[in-house]
Amino acid sequence: MSYSVMKTNEDNEVIYQRTDADGLVRRTCLAHDPEFQSWLSANQSSLPDDIQAKVDDGILTIADAD
Amino acid sequence: MSKAAELAALIGSQTALSNRNLIINGAMQVAQRGTSATGIGGTGDTYKVLDRFRYGLNGGDATAGRFTASQAAITDLPGFGFAHKLDCTTADTSIAAGEAFTIQQRIEGQNLQQLAKGTSSAKAVTVSFYAKGTAKKYMLEIQDAENSRIIQQQFDVTTSWQRFSITFPGDTSGTVANDNAVGLYLNMWLHGGSTYSSGTYNASTWKAQSNADRAAGIDSFFSSTDNELFITGVQMEVGEQATPFEHRSFGDELAKCQRYYFRINYNGDNNYFAAGGVYTTTAAMAMLPLPVEMRAAPTAIDQSGTAAHYGSWGNGATQVCSAVPAIRGSSSKTTCAIDLTFSSLNSATGTYNYRIVNASGYIGVSAEL
Repeated sequence: MSYSVMKTNEDNEVIYQRTDADGLVRRTCLAHDPEFQSWLSANQSSLPDDIQAKVDDGILTIADAD
Repeated sequence: MSKAAELAALIGSQTALSNRNLIINGAMQVAQRGTSATGIGGTGDTYKVLDRFRYGLNGGDATAGRFTASQAAITDLPGFGFAHKLDCTTADTSIAAGEAFTIQQRIEGQNLQQLAKGTSSAKAVTVSFYAKGTAKKYMLEIQDAENSRIIQQQFDVTTSWQRFSITFPGDTSGTVANDNAVGLYLNMWLHGGSTYSSGTYNASTWKAQSNADRAAGIDSFFSSTDNELFITGVQMEVGEQATPFEHRSFGDELAKCQRYYFRINYNGDNNYFAAGGVYTTTAAMAMLPLPVEMRAAPTAIDQSGTAAHYGSWGNGATQVCSAVPAIRGSSSKTTCAIDLTFSSLNSATGTYNYRIVNASGYIGVSAEL
C-alpha cells in the first residue's frame, strides 16, 4: 500500500489517500492522521513525489516516531 | 481468601470496584473493522481487526513475516467468548535489524492521572491477561513515549491457557499530560530485530527508553508458520494485585471503542447514513452524526474503495458516486464531514440524503490515537 495526495478541497485542506495492494483507495485522511504519520515515518527516505513535494513545501510535517 | 475478604481487601486498598480496567475491549468483544484480516505484515502501524488493538510494525525495516488476525470464538476458557488470535502465515527467519512487531493499546493521558506518574506518590500498576499458543517467550512493556521511558517483563506462553499477572512499580519520573493524546502505550513485543533485541533485559524496572532492550531475549512469532497466539482478558489496573477481569457489557465496550473508531456497515436497501447539501452539480457534503463524542475530530475515513457503493437521493432522483467518499477537515468530535463526488447531480443546490447502496459498502470514521 502507499499514500498519495488526493486533492486540495475548497477549504484549502489537503486530503491524502491510501491505495491498497489491489489498487483500491480505502482510506482518506488529513495530514495529522496517526496511521498516515506512521507510514510517513517508516517511508520518509523514499516518499512518493507528490507527498515529498508537500513535505518540501512545509505543508506536510512528519511527526517524530513513537 | 473468601469473597468477603477479597471485597474487604479491595475496599481497604482503595481499588476501584468498577472501571478498574484501563484497557478497552480487553475481552475482545468488539471488532468493528471485521472479524478477520489476512496478510498483515510489512511496515506501517495499523488497526485491522479488534478495536483498540493496534499492530506495530514500523520498526524501520519491513518484516517478511505475515499473519492472519481474527476475533476467535473460544469455548475452552470459562467466562470468555472471544480471543484475539494471531496465526503466522509467512515465516521470517532472516530478520533485519529494524524489524518490529508489537500488539499495542494506546491509552489517553487523561485516563491515567490516577497513576500519579512522575510524582513521589506514583502508584504501581498491574497488567493481567490470558494467553496460550505456540510455546514462546514474549515481552510485555509499558512505554511512556512523552518522557521516553519504559518498563518491561518477559512472559512465557504455553499451549495451555494461563493468566499472567505482572505488576510494575510506580514511576516517580516523567509526568503524563492530562489530555486526550497518548499517555502510555501497552506493548506486547512478539518479534524484533537487533535494533530492538541486542540490549539488556531488566525486569520490572523503569528506565530511559533504550530501543536495544525492548525485545531483548524474546522469541519470534514469525519463526514458523506453525506459530499461533491467543490473547484475551487484558486488564491494566492501579495497584499491586490483579483483580478478577472486569467484564463490561457489549454496549458499554462498543461505546468506549466508538470514541476512537465508528463504522456504519450496509444494512439493507435505502441504507442512509447521513444528510447534507450539494454545492455544485458534482460535489456534495454529508454530515454524519457520530453516536459517541469522539476523542478528537476525526482524521480519516475508511470505505470499501468502490465509488459506486455510495450514492445519493435528492430532488426525486438517485445517483451513485463517481469517486470514493473523502474526509473533510471541518469535522468535529460529534459530526464527521464527508465529501461525495458525482458525475452530474440534478441540482447544484438543495438537501440530499446519502446512502450506502452495496452490501460491501461501509463508512468508518477514525479518531484513533
